[in-house]
Amino acid sequence: MKRKTLKYYLLLLPGLLLFSFFFIIPLAVVALVSLLTGNPVNDPNVTFTLRNYAKLFSDIYYFDVLTITLRIGLYTTLVCLIIGYPLAYQLARMKSKNLRTLMLMAVLSPMLIGIVIRTYAWMTLLSDQGVINATLKNLGLIREPLKLMYNEFGICLALVHIFTPFMVLTLTGVIGKIDLRLEEAARNLGASKFRTFFEVTLPLSAPGILGGSLLVFALAISSYVTPILMGGFSIITLPILIYQQISGVFNFGFAGTLGLILMLVSLVIVFFYHRIMSRVAGGVGA
Amino acid sequence: MKKTGWEHIVFRVINLLLIAFLLLPIGIVLLFAFNSGVFIIFPPEGFSLRWFHSFFTHREFMRSFWLSLQLAATTVVISTLIGTMAAIAIVRGKIPGAGFLSALFLSPLMLPAILTGLALFQFYVILDVGRTYTGLLIGHIVVTIPYVIRTVTALLHNFDRSVEEAARNLGAGELATFWHITLPLIRPGVIAGSVFAFIVSFDQFAVSLFLVQPGINTLPIQLFNYLKYSFDPTVAAAATVSIALSVTMVLLLERTIGLQEYVKL
Repeated sequence: MKRKTLKYYLLLLPGLLLFSFFFIIPLAVVALVSLLTGNPVNDPNVTFTLRNYAKLFSDIYYFDVLTITLRIGLYTTLVCLIIGYPLAYQLARMKSKNLRTLMLMAVLSPMLIGIVIRTYAWMTLLSDQGVINATLKNLGLIREPLKLMYNEFGICLALVHIFTPFMVLTLTGVIGKIDLRLEEAARNLGASKFRTFFEVTLPLSAPGILGGSLLVFALAISSYVTPILMGGFSIITLPILIYQQISGVFNFGFAGTLGLILMLVSLVIVFFYHRIMSRVAGGVGA
Repeated sequence: MKKTGWEHIVFRVINLLLIAFLLLPIGIVLLFAFNSGVFIIFPPEGFSLRWFHSFFTHREFMRSFWLSLQLAATTVVISTLIGTMAAIAIVRGKIPGAGFLSALFLSPLMLPAILTGLALFQFYVILDVGRTYTGLLIGHIVVTIPYVIRTVTALLHNFDRSVEEAARNLGAGELATFWHITLPLIRPGVIAGSVFAFIVSFDQFAVSLFLVQPGINTLPIQLFNYLKYSFDPTVAAAATVSIALSVTMVLLLERTIGLQEYVKL
């Protein structure tokens, strides 16, 4: 019996060592360095300080970055929800298995394509020399290109495209678990189709709406490639600011501070996402 | 009972438009990868493979392409091995704190990848090893292991252990039982996990951003840098090659396990 347990510990060992040294410790170091006055390796007289945190709250610029990041996250989430719900509803209620697989593949296929390529696809469409502007210009409909990207609109549009599949997946799972008899009962009692939807189906899919929204929001506020390319390097979000602190000024302390803020927000969101989704697994409308 | 009201038709049309929205950008990229013109304008000018030629003869792109392939292949082997072992230990081992361990191994999925990249880069700088291929590989392994653990764990959970017991009762040794019974039964999970690990590594951006060696970029980083200054359809050709690779992987997955099985709706 004892030998058996030992065997399992040995199986676990490589993964545990890898994660301790290359995940937990590095993250702990990020937290630590954000509280120090300098890099402990090349500077022997470092001391603890809260100056990186004070910096964050003292400059209105960082507040703006945070606001922009949250705003982009919020708009992206709302539009993903509006687009994702009808798709998820149809997917969950489809009777033909083949059609369902086909639709599922159509919805999920964008997920298989790397983030840089998907952003490039949107740039080919929306940039000043992109398909839409070039075609309109050729047709003589416009002289100056329409500002379709290099702004928050372009960023949100591309992010919506990238994260809608996540929303659809979460929602489909929840809508699929709703007991159809509840809807039938409402209909039999004389409720119209619309009333049944708004008073039975929609409230019962609330956990999916909340879960999907949390997931998309967390993904949207931590994305880097899409905001930087679609924003034309002029709109700064939190992940962009973090990378700038490293590549531009090599300030690990402040990058760590910003990173911890992002991590904290993400972890709180993920925590609630899991609570909601595990409750759904227990049964909706049961 | 069959009733197809107008609201049904409107609903279907809306969904078709939404699917078109989801597929449109990819369609555009594929279309202009095969277009002969330099500019991405409607109507396309004509069929040409010049952008593929441009991609496959571009020294930097080719170096990145091979680096990404090699990195993804190495990552898959190591992640699948370590991940499968850990998953078996977590599900079977009755180890105290199994729930915590499982959460730990899945956490790179939940943490913004840019933070994993930042943390590892800073760690390497403090250890004074700088940016190396091994360092990049370790980053890719850490972010792909969760996919392997998730798929293998799912299979181990709904798994009839009496088959294994039967084998053991019939006199099979522990190793023989594992090799002939357990492994074939969890194989779909292992394959699915490794396919996901490959795609995630090949398309990885945020972790690579911090960890690539100066001048030796992975394909996504190379494409990103190229896009900063130029916009020609060489990127569309590169995209088409990557898409073909991912689609091949997924067809492999569909053939061996079935997509529905993984998505579990």
